[in-house]
Amino acid sequence: MTDQPPADRALEGGPAGTLEPYEVFRQEKEGGPMIHGGNVLAPDAVLAVHYAREMFGRRNESTRLWVVRRADVHVLDDPDLLDPPLDRSFKKPGGYVMRDKLAAARGKAGTSKPGARAAAHDTTGRRTGGEA
Amino acid sequence: MTLSKVPSAAREAAAKLDAPRRDALAELLLTMADDEFVGGFMDSEWTGIAPILEEDVAMSSIAQDELGHAKALYELLAEVLDDGRDADAIAYDREPEAYRHARLLDLPRGDWADTIARRFLYELADEARLASIGTGYGPLADLVAKLRREERYHRMHVVAWVERLANGGRIARGRLEAALAVAAAVAPTVFTRLDGEPELLRAGILSRPLAAADAAWRVDLTRILVPLELALPPTIEHGPEGRAGHSDAFRWLWREFTSVRRSEVGAAW
Repeated sequence: MTDQPPADRALEGGPAGTLEPYEVFRQEKEGGPMIHGGNVLAPDAVLAVHYAREMFGRRNESTRLWVVRRADVHVLDDPDLLDPPLDRSFKKPGGYVMRDKLAAARGKAGTSKPGARAAAHDTTGRRTGGEA
Repeated sequence: MTLSKVPSAAREAAAKLDAPRRDALAELLLTMADDEFVGGFMDSEWTGIAPILEEDVAMSSIAQDELGHAKALYELLAEVLDDGRDADAIAYDREPEAYRHARLLDLPRGDWADTIARRFLYELADEARLASIGTGYGPLADLVAKLRREERYHRMHVVAWVERLANGGRIARGRLEAALAVAAAVAPTVFTRLDGEPELLRAGILSRPLAAADAAWRVDLTRILVPLELALPPTIEHGPEGRAGHSDAFRWLWREFTSVRRSEVGAAW
């Protein structure tokens, strides 16, 4: 595992020229969120999944793993976009208590729990459309 | 690893066995357990020096799995024998010649290709053997169902490596071919006929002869080796020497894996 590019490992010899990092996300229980666990170096996706299983799944700590080639991850870390310099406090909901209003609205609509959107959001990672 | 906790779940089933059946079952359990134990210990010799860190963890974990399988089988055996020895005593307190692992597991660790070749041939053979265990002895049938779930991953791992070495360029392929040639010559010894085999078949503890498992193994191997243009193992006569006359590599390994146990005889760990 590494937080550095694969070039580091290449200095140690072995078949490192062909290794690349894969990011591993894990789910602790069915329906839970996928949490970034760490990463593995592997020569291809098949072995990356094997190694992810050994690093993040061999002690019954995961019900599901997502293994993603780091090169396939689209990164946004531009501070101009994520942390603009001007005051944004007006975009934050602080001081505005939603709970009672939500409860009243739910009572009116006759729905108990706000889970509909979350349930519709696929957390299995299975490909949808086309063949499974 | 400590093997001292013996569950008594199987004791009742074991008590119902008559002598010929008990002997035959004990022989089967001992051969299966010794295969997993010796093979697992030899694989553990990669810990710390496998080709890459991730593979080091993977191979070490698989080796631990195999030792765990050996532990479960030795515990069943301890119940069947009921001679005062626990799983630890059976696993560690024998002279090298009393181990009944197949000659395939007698091979030295060798290089990575040697280990992959040995593991590949053994994993698929073990799978064919596990598929031959019937329902005649409940505790073993229950255990085998669990073992097969774990062995699925071992198979995926080792087949992935065979494919990569076979297609990994001239040097990798050359080493794999050489390693397979050595290991394949002794690989069928996993199916060495057991003295108690007729009794095991009568009792339904085996659902088919080991010779039939050997045939199933070859069909399985064909599907993987032929597309890779790799040679299939030769057929051999199954004599008793398939699980006897162990190698110097095994005697070295035996000294390693018994060293702690022998260092303080009778100590509780």
